[in-house]
Amino acid sequence: MGTWGAAQQHGKASAPVTHRAGGGGRTWRALSLLGALPAVALCMANVMLQQRHHRPARPTFVPYHHLRIRTKPFPWGDGTHTLFHNPRTNALPSGYEQ
Amino acid sequence: MAHQAHSYHMVDPSPWPIFGAAAALLTTSGLIMWFHYSSTTLLTMGLLSMLLVMLQWWRDVIRESTFQGHHTPTVQKGLRYGMILFITSEAFFFLGFFWAFFHSSLAPTPELGGQWPPTGVKPLNPLEVPLLNTAILLASGVTVTWTHHSITEGNRKQAIHALTLTILLGFYFTALQAMEYHEASFSIADSVYGSTFFVATGFHGLHVIIGSSFLTVCLLRLIKFHFTPNHHFGFEAAAWYWHFVDIIWLFLYMSMYWWGS
Repeated sequence: MGTWGAAQQHGKASAPVTHRAGGGGRTWRALSLLGALPAVALCMANVMLQQRHHRPARPTFVPYHHLRIRTKPFPWGDGTHTLFHNPRTNALPSGYEQ
Repeated sequence: MAHQAHSYHMVDPSPWPIFGAAAALLTTSGLIMWFHYSSTTLLTMGLLSMLLVMLQWWRDVIRESTFQGHHTPTVQKGLRYGMILFITSEAFFFLGFFWAFFHSSLAPTPELGGQWPPTGVKPLNPLEVPLLNTAILLASGVTVTWTHHSITEGNRKQAIHALTLTILLGFYFTALQAMEYHEASFSIADSVYGSTFFVATGFHGLHVIIGSSFLTVCLLRLIKFHFTPNHHFGFEAAAWYWHFVDIIWLFLYMSMYWWGS
């Protein structure tokens, strides 16, 4: 079924094929480990740095008619909480719960 | 002994198509029963039967191909066309939700305060977690390509490492999105902004979960020696789907997160 035998002995991408510029396991391995993953790490650091600032005070509740629409109760719980309801940041039509 | 005089696969009779249709009926009527009559019985039966049909149907495809050798190059070509057509149909599916978003956001109505985002809606900062999520999906596209080259070159260890990394990145994206959903100050019920945002990103998240599952099955098959350097279409299909999911995210990020903030 598989022909892993020969390549297995080397433990790295060293299949004896003619070198194709821009292709090859070695190239994409390098792009992954030296490019893509460090970029993810940088973005992670960026998020952590930005979230060090104190949480901004949540906006005052204004009972706008276009927000917190409840045409029909949700089919779960008491029907008035959205699926990812966050008591701290999400107000109900009547105002914040906390 | 009879042999076929063609290179196509005449599939043995199977119960999965009709059971799949039954599962679809149970699920759709189950949704109605849940929404309107507060009963979850049909829905549970529908989702359970859907899962069972998928597992058994695709298990049979693996048996027919990897173990019985029915997937000739001709058959594989048909599968390639099929996957491409399916992904194209998914692209049109998302196109509808992007249409809805631009319909509402290019000319915001007076009810929204004549602006986008609407009055009272505080959008997520596109340069925080959404940017990280973009990097994660792009990185997973690079690692899945590394996986593919490793498979073609017969490098089993690297293929397993690269595919595992891809799947972990997918899980990380899903976890971050779930956290974002919980932390957001706006919900799906907050005007058409919430509707377009959560329906589009929600379906995208579902596709990330589907894609991660597909890749996980490929990882298990990779470990069990199902793939050869020249024949690994199941993995290629998963990789195509994954790239599609990545591209949809890029459009979501540019339009809803960035332009729409």
